[in-house]
Amino acid sequence: MAVQTQKLPYGIGRISGGWLLALLVALVFTVFGGYAYAQQLIYGEVVTGMRDIGTMAGAPWGLYIAFVVYFEGVSFAGIAVAALIRLLDLDHLKPIARMAQVMTVIALILGGLGVIADVGKPGRAFINLLKYARPGSPFFGTLTIAILGFLFGALVYLYLDGRRDAALLAKVPGKFQGFYRWWAAGYQDTPEARERHERASFWLALAIIPLLVVAHSTLGFVFGLQVGRPGWFGTLQAPGFLAMAGVSGLGHLIVLAAILRKVYGLEEQIDIAVFRWLSNLLLIFTAVYVYFMVVEWLTSVYSANTAEAQLLNALLRGEYAWIFWLSVVSLLIPLVLLIGQFATGKYRIGWLVFSGVLVNVAAIGKRFLVVVPSQTHGSLMPYVIGSYSPTWVEIGVVLGLMGLGALLFMLFAKVFPIMEVEEV
Amino acid sequence: MARYGMVIDLDKCTGCRACMVACKVENNTPQGHFWMYVFRFEEGEYPNTRTWFMPRPCMHCDNAPCVKVCPVGARYKRLDGLTATDFDRCIGCRYCEVACPYGVNYFNWKKPEGNYYLDWDDPDLAEIVGDEKVVYANPDLDKAYGPEKRRIAGGGQAKGVMEKCTFCVHRLEKGLQPACAAICPTQAIKFGDLDDPESEVSQLLREKPHFRLLEEAGTSPRVFYIGQHAPNPSVRQIEEITVKV
Repeated sequence: MAVQTQKLPYGIGRISGGWLLALLVALVFTVFGGYAYAQQLIYGEVVTGMRDIGTMAGAPWGLYIAFVVYFEGVSFAGIAVAALIRLLDLDHLKPIARMAQVMTVIALILGGLGVIADVGKPGRAFINLLKYARPGSPFFGTLTIAILGFLFGALVYLYLDGRRDAALLAKVPGKFQGFYRWWAAGYQDTPEARERHERASFWLALAIIPLLVVAHSTLGFVFGLQVGRPGWFGTLQAPGFLAMAGVSGLGHLIVLAAILRKVYGLEEQIDIAVFRWLSNLLLIFTAVYVYFMVVEWLTSVYSANTAEAQLLNALLRGEYAWIFWLSVVSLLIPLVLLIGQFATGKYRIGWLVFSGVLVNVAAIGKRFLVVVPSQTHGSLMPYVIGSYSPTWVEIGVVLGLMGLGALLFMLFAKVFPIMEVEEV
Repeated sequence: MARYGMVIDLDKCTGCRACMVACKVENNTPQGHFWMYVFRFEEGEYPNTRTWFMPRPCMHCDNAPCVKVCPVGARYKRLDGLTATDFDRCIGCRYCEVACPYGVNYFNWKKPEGNYYLDWDDPDLAEIVGDEKVVYANPDLDKAYGPEKRRIAGGGQAKGVMEKCTFCVHRLEKGLQPACAAICPTQAIKFGDLDDPESEVSQLLREKPHFRLLEEAGTSPRVFYIGQHAPNPSVRQIEEITVKV
């Protein structure tokens, strides 16, 4: 394996104008988010649109929690796909394994930061959540399993999976050589090492799948176990969250793969077979989620108690109707498109990207609808019907998180190959 | 040990809301926070309507949803039946608030300073207080209470933490009644030891039919109501108050 060129693969270390521009845009969003969050730190959460349930007729959980759930959901599919590729030996899908892992790690970081943005005492939260942890709270599961444990697992997986690439890149002289040597940590690309490595990542992938189910179920339990909130309390929350996580994450991955394919000219590596597999997996998850949605919907339309009926009314034709119907349409159109592609056997990347974007619109909408209406319209006590609309601070922080995510991804892509390298 | 509870006689309540005022003054709660709130209801169709009133403190549930979900144990049950909030430990995640079916939690959305029960910009008030905008700080509100020695009394303690009705724990520990019960001009609010069969509250509950709010939620509240009936969907609030901070 001789060193043929001094250039590292996939544009590592080479900064193009387009990349700089994209980085600048992401940076502007991130800085704006930081400014918005600074306002919140200084003046308190009075600068958000959130208020107390009851006499203040507000919602104490708003956009932040909706996006924490959304980011957590996106993280799900990345590592799930990477693990499935390993477990089922889907060799032709290997090109997307790395980007899926990175997407997972970044989405988890954003989810964790979203929690910090939400709490009233962020500094204290770091200490007390660990020092006084109570496993009885669904937040415990969310934090330990869904965010921290999962982030750890995803990082280990990313690290192990990247060692071979790092070892190869370390042979090329350059400014990142030391970094690659550290990452490779003595890995030699011998058959024994490769075999040992394969075995380790197989067991890790096997362990990650059940962890995924548990993690996203605990996230559903945050809402599903609350008897006092109509619309939340229910058995379907945990599996529903799992299905929606798959939908949004796969949609994200499709869009990401299509962008990278275009940018790096990877038409050969990321071929239509990759997209066909992603498309069919997305079809399964979308169909399952739509099924859950219809079951839930039918149950409450047929026999809702007073509080549930009031909530349902707000969703179907009240204050939240536009978000509800936008989400439903954004799920059904991709579902039809995916079924059509599956039936005809003709897969178009353009339609897939369109579907991927739409299901994410639906995911954000549905997450918002899970979190907010039950607080404003789901009171069991005779309070005034509430309302919630996010302020610029909340929108700014969420945009900042998205900007930060894009920023991290772009930076990663410049120091490490975003796809497994064959040879250097 | 006494295990406290409250019995509110809705047939005696006149809806004067003295309890709401007493609570605010006693606990220094910030603007817009009503640890005690009095619903004013109307029901029936004209001309056969009637009004009635229902005070709503924290229910101090025995199976409190807020205690179950608190990730750091800041919201906890005391042996004397109180559901307390340790504002030194609270991280402000507001999970207790969304879990509570009764809507009794209040979050300090901003720094609770100069933001109390008086409108400090009112010109009439300015004549009296001049530049002084400092409210009277009751030293009892900052002390630690109970064998667990945690600071759980009073409102407006810090930005970004949750607060709610404490059953006036700082008064209880001195042998006094909670402010709302002490001030009620018609003695509609009774407070005492539910474990003592001879206490006034226990006797009332033996003698009269009573109900608890949202009994079906399984929260086992320690606040009982006698007279009237539990609010149902045919009950309307007379005034639709939404307060702002």
